[in-house]
Amino acid sequence: MSNLMKKPAFIALAVLALVGIGCWIYQLVTGLGITGMSNANSWGLYIIMFMFFVGLSAGGLIVASSASVFHIKRFKAVAMPAVILSTACICVAGMFVLVDLGSIQNIWRLLVGPNFASPLLWDVCVITLYLVINILYLVFMNSKKDDAPRKVEIISRFALPIAILVHSITAWIFGLQIAKEGWYTAILAPIFVASAMDSGLALLLCVLSGLNKSSKFKTDKNLIATLAGLLATCIAVDAFFIGCELITMAYPGAAGAETLAIMTTGSTAPFFWIEIIAGLVIPFLILVFAKNRENENLVVTASVLVILGVFCKRVWLLLTAFVLPNIEGAPGIALGTFTAQEGGMGMWSLYGFYFPTVPEVLIAVGVVSVGAIIFWAIAQKTMFANNIANKVDSADDEAIASQEGATPQAV
Amino acid sequence: MTRMGIAISLDRCTGCNTCAMACKMQNNVPMGMAWNRVVVEGCQSEFEAQGVYPDLTRTYIPVACQHCENPACQKVCPTGATYKDDKGRVEIDYEKCIGCRMCMAACPYNARSFNWEEPKHDPDFNYGDKDVPVRHKGVAEKCTLCKERTDRDEDPMCVRSCPSEARIFGDLDDPNSEISKKVKEKNAYMLLEDRGTKPQVKYYN
Repeated sequence: MSNLMKKPAFIALAVLALVGIGCWIYQLVTGLGITGMSNANSWGLYIIMFMFFVGLSAGGLIVASSASVFHIKRFKAVAMPAVILSTACICVAGMFVLVDLGSIQNIWRLLVGPNFASPLLWDVCVITLYLVINILYLVFMNSKKDDAPRKVEIISRFALPIAILVHSITAWIFGLQIAKEGWYTAILAPIFVASAMDSGLALLLCVLSGLNKSSKFKTDKNLIATLAGLLATCIAVDAFFIGCELITMAYPGAAGAETLAIMTTGSTAPFFWIEIIAGLVIPFLILVFAKNRENENLVVTASVLVILGVFCKRVWLLLTAFVLPNIEGAPGIALGTFTAQEGGMGMWSLYGFYFPTVPEVLIAVGVVSVGAIIFWAIAQKTMFANNIANKVDSADDEAIASQEGATPQAV
Repeated sequence: MTRMGIAISLDRCTGCNTCAMACKMQNNVPMGMAWNRVVVEGCQSEFEAQGVYPDLTRTYIPVACQHCENPACQKVCPTGATYKDDKGRVEIDYEKCIGCRMCMAACPYNARSFNWEEPKHDPDFNYGDKDVPVRHKGVAEKCTLCKERTDRDEDPMCVRSCPSEARIFGDLDDPNSEISKKVKEKNAYMLLEDRGTKPQVKYYN
């Protein structure tokens, strides 16, 4: 740890995290009015990031547990970074829900008077369970006891279905709401699982490539190519589900078509088209050719595009539904916040509109920085330490951390 | 069972907004917020009308919480802060609200307001009914069907103050109540009936 703390990247992350915490305290004192949200658009960047990071955490655990469940031995090599990544991402997702709460001091009410009909409560339960499984997975993988591999096998059988459930339940927070034309669809859960798979895998590939470059952890080239092939398949499945949804919205030419018009030509159109073109079409065309999958730079480019695309998708999915209120008519909805009124539009708005504010963005950046620190901290304690420990059995963790020169090898 | 509700005659409504103002005064509704609003149907501004001159119409629709029989907001509330009470009203326990705004996403009528900051009042004091609880930042609020007044067997303030007597308040479960008779006689409709929320606020011409 001590070496890590001296690194400029780590210091930068720590500063961003502190700035984020500072802004969060400011938000706790003054209220959520410092954000761009209003009564007309009551969820914003925090919930977008929440969906995004629940999705990102998928790739890791699904790849790691597939190694055991489907006996794909090659995946075992990357199980450790995959699960650490999954743990860090789910922590970030949880933190985003917490910073979005208006009255966090009442959160204990979830324990004493839970309403089991609420999808949000299901999500709290399943995300907690998911985090526990991730941590157990890490503990078992790092355990040197004889029965540890067996325990990993057992937990992975739970990890895979729970991972699918996490994404489905997150989708149901939106997909079960009769109030929002853009959300209320049975295919939302499959879409969330598919986009979780592709963005999660893409992030895993980026991290593995990054680790390769820093030569802290080596991943076999063939394995990267295999994972890239899996990513191409996931992109295709995601695109298929989204296509099914779009044609169902468009064909009747009724209420769904209005929502579709906002997505394709209205205020959320940039996000929609970036997702379709940069997030689905281009990365698929790159990864569909075996030759490209062997080129690590192209794989990383495609992965970054996929992650960007899925982020844009979270944006249009959330915000499009708020644009058109069901009951239309002047003067519209009372915004309820003075920040929203500063633009000179008065207290009413006919349509939902949203743009994040500076403190809101700083809080989001801070939360992500905390996630990155969590990743590095766990990686430092387990992965990097263990890789050397495999070679030098007797060495203890402290001593290893200081041995910067001895570059570990995996696979 | 009691199922309190309001029936609104759109023929009688003149769009004067007295109900909206009376509601604001009674319930201590802060600046920038309205529990009850009167929208001009299908118009982009309050000074427009529907149709082509000289065939113009203006329809005013007062919209507040619909006190649904099947309330989407109550179902999604993780802590049970939103509940359906024994008189059929949808109410909020502000002490239990964690401010997640799930209810705002779930309500098809945009009936809910959130306290995005510490509420501001103009004039700067709690001008509402003394029995109405004071809300702080970070909780959701909405029409309570004037819980404090209806508990005292008084009409909600919007009903009491309507100059054209466009509103009737009463028990929809009592077939002999004025509201039940009117709803039946006029074949009253509900907002967004297709969503299946079964509002207890009815509209008729």
